[in-house]
Amino acid sequence: MKIENTKAQMRKGVLEYCILSILKNGEAYPSEIIEKLKAGKLIVVEGTLYPLLTRLKNAGLLSYRWEESKSGPPRKYYQLTEIGSEFLKELETTWNDLVKAVNITSK
Amino acid sequence: MNQTVTINISGIVFHIDVDAYEELEKYLNKIKSYFKNSQECDEIMTDIEARIAELFSEKITSDNQVIQSKDVEEVITVMGKPEQYIDEDETQEDEPKQESFSSSQRTYSSEKKLFRDPDDRMIGGVAGGLAAYMGVEALWLRLFFVVALFVGFGFLLYIILWIVMSEAKTSSDKLHMKGEPVNIDNIGKTFKDEADKLSENFKKQGHQYGKKAESAVGSFFNFFGQLLKGVFNVFGKIFGVIFLLVGTFMLVGLLGMLVGSETIFSITSDGVFSIASNEFFNLIFISEDQFHIAIIGVAIAIGLPIVMLIYAGANLLFKVKTHAGVSIGLFVLWVIGVFMCAMVGIRMATELRYNEYDTEIGIVKEVVNDSENDFYISMNSNDIPGHGILEDKYFSISLDEDSIYFSDIQLRIYESKTDSFEIEIEKDAAGHSRKDVTSKLNQMNYDYTINNDSIILGNYLSTLKENKIRGQEVNLKLYLPIGKSIYLDKSLRHVIYDIDNVTRTRDRKMLGKRWVMLAEGLTCLDCNEIEGITTLQLDSIRAIEPILLD
Repeated sequence: MKIENTKAQMRKGVLEYCILSILKNGEAYPSEIIEKLKAGKLIVVEGTLYPLLTRLKNAGLLSYRWEESKSGPPRKYYQLTEIGSEFLKELETTWNDLVKAVNITSK
Repeated sequence: MNQTVTINISGIVFHIDVDAYEELEKYLNKIKSYFKNSQECDEIMTDIEARIAELFSEKITSDNQVIQSKDVEEVITVMGKPEQYIDEDETQEDEPKQESFSSSQRTYSSEKKLFRDPDDRMIGGVAGGLAAYMGVEALWLRLFFVVALFVGFGFLLYIILWIVMSEAKTSSDKLHMKGEPVNIDNIGKTFKDEADKLSENFKKQGHQYGKKAESAVGSFFNFFGQLLKGVFNVFGKIFGVIFLLVGTFMLVGLLGMLVGSETIFSITSDGVFSIASNEFFNLIFISEDQFHIAIIGVAIAIGLPIVMLIYAGANLLFKVKTHAGVSIGLFVLWVIGVFMCAMVGIRMATELRYNEYDTEIGIVKEVVNDSENDFYISMNSNDIPGHGILEDKYFSISLDEDSIYFSDIQLRIYESKTDSFEIEIEKDAAGHSRKDVTSKLNQMNYDYTINNDSIILGNYLSTLKENKIRGQEVNLKLYLPIGKSIYLDKSLRHVIYDIDNVTRTRDRKMLGKRWVMLAEGLTCLDCNEIEGITTLQLDSIRAIEPILLD
């Protein structure tokens, strides 16, 4: 059992939660999301984000709108849908439970 | 500087080094093959490409307009390899499959191009490149060129191909050169692909049409453009072959005419027409320099468009890589060629400005004694001296040491305004001044023998070589009083010209017959097949109207 795999799996589990959390405060485009994720050391490379966003969007948790950009192609600005907000609330509960669980077990 | 290609990523155009381009293409293909089984593949690719375009845009500065390998490497580092992606695993365990990466670049990556092969060459790598293109052994093509060399067009064909095919310099060129071989299957496939692309575009456009009605007109034109492009691609290959063949033959013909041959043959409805070109043109042009300028001018002015035709053909057929700037150079050269032609043309026009025959020197009149008998008109059949340089059915020019001989002689018959039988011999020539014409007319010799009741015309006129070919001709006019008769000998067949007569008999048919001038016009006498009058009738007319006839 490799430590890297375990780490990756742990990150993967919280990644969706973190993306939804970022969008809780309002809409954002991928580069902004990436910056925050990178700051939290959750992802290393940007490519990771795009398939995730697409899947969250197709699952109905996110929606997006186009906005023109001065420096490149038009950008997709993502925001939470109603379902997305509900989903996020459930994840928050689960996360809090998990944190408690970890705190209890690791003492 | 390295070769660059222009690509379109997410609607933004970038110039990119060929090496960097290959790297990018490989990277995108890898990502695509990673996601290819997922339904979101297209969308993910579009997003990733958009991000790459954004990152590239940040790299472009006023000093550095071209995306280079290091830029691509940096972008790949930022974006990460697909293996580094943290993602659900269920969709991507399949083997990677080669596929071109985005709709906008699909054509570039799959297309095979014709290049000269620097690694497989005997002379210029033309045969090697063609061999790679067609997927056959270069040996066969070399054999073909050797055979073609003996047939005559091989050398030229090789040179043309050498010029139009650029050398495969980069590895990308070589990859394109060696791609899928072009064989019947693949040609069929290409046609099918074009058709598929067409119908795909049709659907896409239809979709867009429904979505945004405000750009309906734009969509329509876009669709129309796609349709034209597809049709053009299919027919382009056919036109390519036609252009290439026609162009090559025309070029061979032109060069042959200008430098190669001593004789020009042209087959017209009047039979074979031949000119000994060099000697002929030396007698036409004012000086040898003018002659050479004209040859070069014509070669450029006519040759270049033919070369362009061949080039266009090659391009349609093989997608030859175009050399930038060459077309401007060729155009300038063409203008120079046209200018040279115009220069010689204007000089020739001044040389021929005066064309007169109405001077006293030009016309000799002879009055023939009246006789009751037919006046017998014939032409001698001497050999024309010198060797022929221009030969036509009706007309020839020949040349010896110091003289030119023309057979341009015409005979016409009119009713005499007086009572006398007259022959007018009119010489004609052109020149740059009145004086020049006079001197040319003076130096024209034309012999004929005239007797009491017959004339034997000479069958040529001659002049000195330095007078050149300047429209020299002799026009003979016979003025026949009413009631007088003539006999046209068969030897006149090349000189009688549009002679008016009552029965509108054609020139040829008038020969070997007797003709009498009546008030109505020239009438055949004692003819069986032509409606005319008999000698007896003529006698009675003469008896009834003696005053008129005298």
